[in-house]
Amino acid sequence: MKRIKIIITALSLAILISSCQKDDELGNVDNIPGLGGDTWPQGPIDKWILDTLTVPYNISAKYKWDQSELPLNKILVPPQEDKVIPVLSSITKGWIKPYVDEAGVLFFKNTSPKFFTLVGSASFNSDGSLTLGTAEGGRKVILYDLNNFRIKGMPGYVAADTDRVIRQFWVINHEYAHILDMTIKVPVEFSESSASLYTSDWTNVSPQDALNEGFISQYAISGKEDDWAETVSWMLVNGRGWFDNLVNSINYLGTTPNGTTAAEAKERLRQKEATVVSYFKQAWNIDYYSLQTRSRAAISSLLY
Amino acid sequence: MKRILIAFLVVAAALSSCTKEDDPVFEKSADERLQEKLAAYQAQLSGAQNGWNGLLVTDSGRGSTHSFYFKFNDQNRVTMLSDFDPVSAATFKESSYRIKALQQPSLLFDTYSYLHVLSDPDDAVNGGITGAGLLSDFEFYFDSDLQDTIKLVGRINGSKMTFTRATQAEADAYNAGQLAAGLYINNILTYFKRLTVGSQLYDVNIDPISRQFIFSWLDGSGNLQTFSTGYYFVLGGIVFTTPFVNGSLTISGFNNITWTPATETINLTINGTAATITGIVVPLKVDTGAPKRWWDYAINNGNSFWISQRGFHVNGVDDAFNIQSLTSGTSTYYFLAYNPEFEPGNDLFAPIFLNAAGTQIVLAYGTAPDTPNFSGGKATFTQLGTYGTYPSTGPAAQSRTLLYNTSGWYFVQTGATTYDMVSAGNGKSWITWEF
Repeated sequence: MKRIKIIITALSLAILISSCQKDDELGNVDNIPGLGGDTWPQGPIDKWILDTLTVPYNISAKYKWDQSELPLNKILVPPQEDKVIPVLSSITKGWIKPYVDEAGVLFFKNTSPKFFTLVGSASFNSDGSLTLGTAEGGRKVILYDLNNFRIKGMPGYVAADTDRVIRQFWVINHEYAHILDMTIKVPVEFSESSASLYTSDWTNVSPQDALNEGFISQYAISGKEDDWAETVSWMLVNGRGWFDNLVNSINYLGTTPNGTTAAEAKERLRQKEATVVSYFKQAWNIDYYSLQTRSRAAISSLLY
Repeated sequence: MKRILIAFLVVAAALSSCTKEDDPVFEKSADERLQEKLAAYQAQLSGAQNGWNGLLVTDSGRGSTHSFYFKFNDQNRVTMLSDFDPVSAATFKESSYRIKALQQPSLLFDTYSYLHVLSDPDDAVNGGITGAGLLSDFEFYFDSDLQDTIKLVGRINGSKMTFTRATQAEADAYNAGQLAAGLYINNILTYFKRLTVGSQLYDVNIDPISRQFIFSWLDGSGNLQTFSTGYYFVLGGIVFTTPFVNGSLTISGFNNITWTPATETINLTINGTAATITGIVVPLKVDTGAPKRWWDYAINNGNSFWISQRGFHVNGVDDAFNIQSLTSGTSTYYFLAYNPEFEPGNDLFAPIFLNAAGTQIVLAYGTAPDTPNFSGGKATFTQLGTYGTYPSTGPAAQSRTLLYNTSGWYFVQTGATTYDMVSAGNGKSWITWEF
């Protein structure tokens, strides 16, 4: 009897050991459709992107529709092909070139966002506002509303288009300022004077009220990181003269509900400007005012 | 006995468990079959040398119907026509497409084309819902596939697309611009349009925004009847998604549409019988109560005003006077307003401006019509005086001159709080009032 048990046990073990050693081959893995990304016969736009952005700056730009790059809760459409090169070319002139000229190509390659995704329509929000650009993780920037992009010399260009183009540069510079902040931290002096004023309820603060507290824009009051990005980007795209006018326009009497006087608000903006300038010098050895002049001049040349 | 049974089972298991043969149901792996299927679809689409007729019904097949013509090549490029507007119906546009394995083999139109016009979330493009467009699609999965018919379903809004293989004759007709024939109806510049079929008269109206074709006629007792249906354009004609039936006459579409500029007449055939569409000034039945109803409505609802964003449409041109370009100081044009009984005994007609900060509406000047004359089923306006300094030239002046046209205006109620005010003079000018 014992022998039978032993035989059974032995058999069981043998089965256990041998039974499931099936050699399942993986099959032909390099034949999985779409593995390694989509491919298509390269057209002139693909070649332009490769030559102008990818080879010199290691930046890719996706203009063909790929839902996986985009928010799923929004209805969006891909860009018109005839807008792709004008938009990217203006970005090269208004954003890449000023930085490269001022700080060198190595600095730019090290820090710039690498993936641009282009969308034809704006992104419509439920509160009625439009999103013109977003960025993720310092690597990827989504630009919206390309189909309405018009600059000087393009058919149908009207003065109202200026705002859209400036906002496009603002989005890119805003995200780039975040990346610089994440790479070398901005000194705390930047936000010290405004620390108690930041609010997550920023959409209910009017741009004028934000300015009266010493913030360059409405969005700047949402937190210290965005205050930084807003200050750097708006000053770059609109120029030094604009910023001086903005600061000088703060002329209310008395105090805001938060107890800020006009003089304090001006002082805060001036101190933020000074921190931006010293940060760019110390962290990256960039003359911010010179960069600002180049940037503003490049954007103006596209528009006026 | 039990032990023997166990032993038997173990031996049986040992013998059977290790059949190491994979015996798949299919001869090839899933990836290989997918590759083959994608290649087959590609070959089928680009292999049709005369291209494909496309018929799209938006919003899971519940929405509007639109026709297309596609010609695919094997380099991921497609050229297209669509019946959306006169340009898209006659001018080929090239864009990109690709066939891709998503959850199902799918056809993606991946750069902007006439197809995307329907999906565009900007309502200024297609008159659809802001943020959603006309609930259409540009990514489709293959639902069924025969040699000459391919059915596709949209991946976001479930639009139904049917491709049918085009013939040489159809391809020639598309190249000749025949898809635009149905749009000749827009060549008639009057608000009211008359379809004459034998002795029967119908007023017809085409609304491109809601994609509705509307028939109005008088029944035996002289009452106005209306019927509206969705429509789409085909080569040389129009197809109604719901056929119009009146007595013995069934109209499922118009064929052989031609336009004669000299007489401003559209000739067409219905079931092989010749018919015409011409412009008219006076509709079959004038809504004689409408002008007074329009005027009273604003008074009875808070003594408020009617507004028009786009001003007057004249001779086929929307906002003919370019009123939307009007400015006053730093304020920009906001809307045209008509305020009945603005002050006791007089009304107000004026452009309203928005201040530069966008926080306040501004009345810079206006003209004061007398209480309108409502005789003859029309409203006729005469000026009593002005507010401020009314400009003597430009969009505001032109709008004022047109308003005081002595022929007066018919009113057509188009919704609970919307009216179209149509010139009773030549029928070629109108303005849409909203409350």
